[in-house]
Amino acid sequence: MNGAAALEVTHIAKRFGGLVALRDVSFTVRDGEVIGLIGPNGAGKSTLFEIVSGNLPPSAGRVAFFGRDCTADPPHVRRRAGLCRSFQKVRLFETMSVAENIAVAARQCLPPDKDWRGEVASILARMRLAAQADRLPSEITLADRKKVEIGRAIAGYCRVLMLDESLSGLTHDEAEELIGEILTLNRDTGITVIVVEHVLSVLAKMVKRLVVLHNATVIADGTPSEVAHDPVVIEAYLGTKASVLR
Amino acid sequence: MSRERRSLLAGIVLVAALALMPVAGVNDYFIAVAVRMLIFIALGQAWNVVAGIGGLLSLGHGVFLGLGCYATGILFNFYGLPPWLGVWVGALASLVIALVMGAMTLRMRGVFFALATIAVSLALDQLARHYVDLTGGDNGLALKFLGNSLWFMQSRRPGPFLYAALAFVVAYYWITRWILASRFGLEMRAVRDDEVAAAAAGVPVFRTKLLGLLVSAVMTSVAGSLYMQSYQAIDPETAFGLSQAIQLQLPALIGGLGTSWGPIVGGAVMILLSEGTNLGSTRLGIAGVDILVYGLLLLAVVMYAPKGIMGLFERRARGGS
Repeated sequence: MNGAAALEVTHIAKRFGGLVALRDVSFTVRDGEVIGLIGPNGAGKSTLFEIVSGNLPPSAGRVAFFGRDCTADPPHVRRRAGLCRSFQKVRLFETMSVAENIAVAARQCLPPDKDWRGEVASILARMRLAAQADRLPSEITLADRKKVEIGRAIAGYCRVLMLDESLSGLTHDEAEELIGEILTLNRDTGITVIVVEHVLSVLAKMVKRLVVLHNATVIADGTPSEVAHDPVVIEAYLGTKASVLR
Repeated sequence: MSRERRSLLAGIVLVAALALMPVAGVNDYFIAVAVRMLIFIALGQAWNVVAGIGGLLSLGHGVFLGLGCYATGILFNFYGLPPWLGVWVGALASLVIALVMGAMTLRMRGVFFALATIAVSLALDQLARHYVDLTGGDNGLALKFLGNSLWFMQSRRPGPFLYAALAFVVAYYWITRWILASRFGLEMRAVRDDEVAAAAAGVPVFRTKLLGLLVSAVMTSVAGSLYMQSYQAIDPETAFGLSQAIQLQLPALIGGLGTSWGPIVGGAVMILLSEGTNLGSTRLGIAGVDILVYGLLLLAVVMYAPKGIMGLFERRARGGS
């Protein structure tokens, strides 16, 4: 982590008609950090995710990526700049093989002088998907589908990886394995990771910093321990300290 | 022998067999059927680019067929311009119409693009009926026949058109293969499968869809010019009508959307079936049996082989489930 701001979210607001989905949300993610974005259902996590990745325009506020205002950039421009994401419900190209899924991003995001085939092979090896390379997404397990999606997200060029509930639906062992791979990725490549989850106990193992969203705004920002002891967070989750961490 | 080599060999045999038809003294009727089949295969190949590979349901692709036909026909009849040049005017007009249509609708999600293609078809249909002096109105436009001529691409017999249509199908087959293997093809397939995920993988979705539409429009228009030379006439219903639009879609739908062989197999099945049923209905004295067969065929494909005939082969090759 070198301390430069990788992603700055400043005074973001989003309204859908009369519904306020996000209100004055601001936080900064440092280069190389692994942070968690947490909040109960309906807190605004997914809306924020869509705004940061460029799929939704904010009603107000600004998103900056390594100091450059990207609020008006379409999703593919942000992706090529290195702002990468996965989806809450895995979205793969179902008629393409695992290798082709990764190749799509590699061919878009790798500089023209780089070998995209080598990049695909390297991602397949990193995500332990080489044996599945020629299979269709419908022929592999959910855990592998999630790996393919992460592989596609980091292929070519990635500086910030945003994972939207990538651990949901996995068994304990599968989740542990995926967490290990994400942390290794962060350690080996320095990619900044933002993990969205709604269960704090899952994130507490992965991250050193948590941003908590509740009722469309940020209510806490700190280490997992600080967040777990924060009375506002405890109240938001309608429980005790113990139940928050469970 | 690999699948790739087997299909290449099958292609060479088919092309050789068709090319030998005039030399072998085959009856002109059968050669004309082969020409019709090859032209519809080429039109199906062109539609397959935008709909099969790109996933854009163009329901009014007859627009580009009509522009190709009318452009070459009008320029030839009124200005003496040979179809070798007229074809490019038709292609340019198609490019402009596709660009405007795409720019207006391709950013929207859902059925807007499909509806826009129908709307443009209806508009051009009315224009073709209205400007009677230029287009012949409801009666259509018949090409002046100046005698057998390569320069004017005219022939009383169907043999020369067989070679031209064969060249189109082979060229369009290679274009389809090139697209499927290229980065552009990968982009189109990604957009077809999931636009949001494609954008998240760095694919410029709008540009990809627009480019796919432009390529397909030009391919359709150029094949339309050959259609005009071969049939020597065009009318608004044949160019812009709904039944023609459906016929353009059938080769790829029956054969297999998004594949290089799909429109070829589908077009062959469609025309041979149509000719067979036509012959049968004439003998039985019942008109329109071929239309009924189209409908039933489409129903069968949707129900039992949604990925077309090539999809059945693919399923067998992958293990059968």
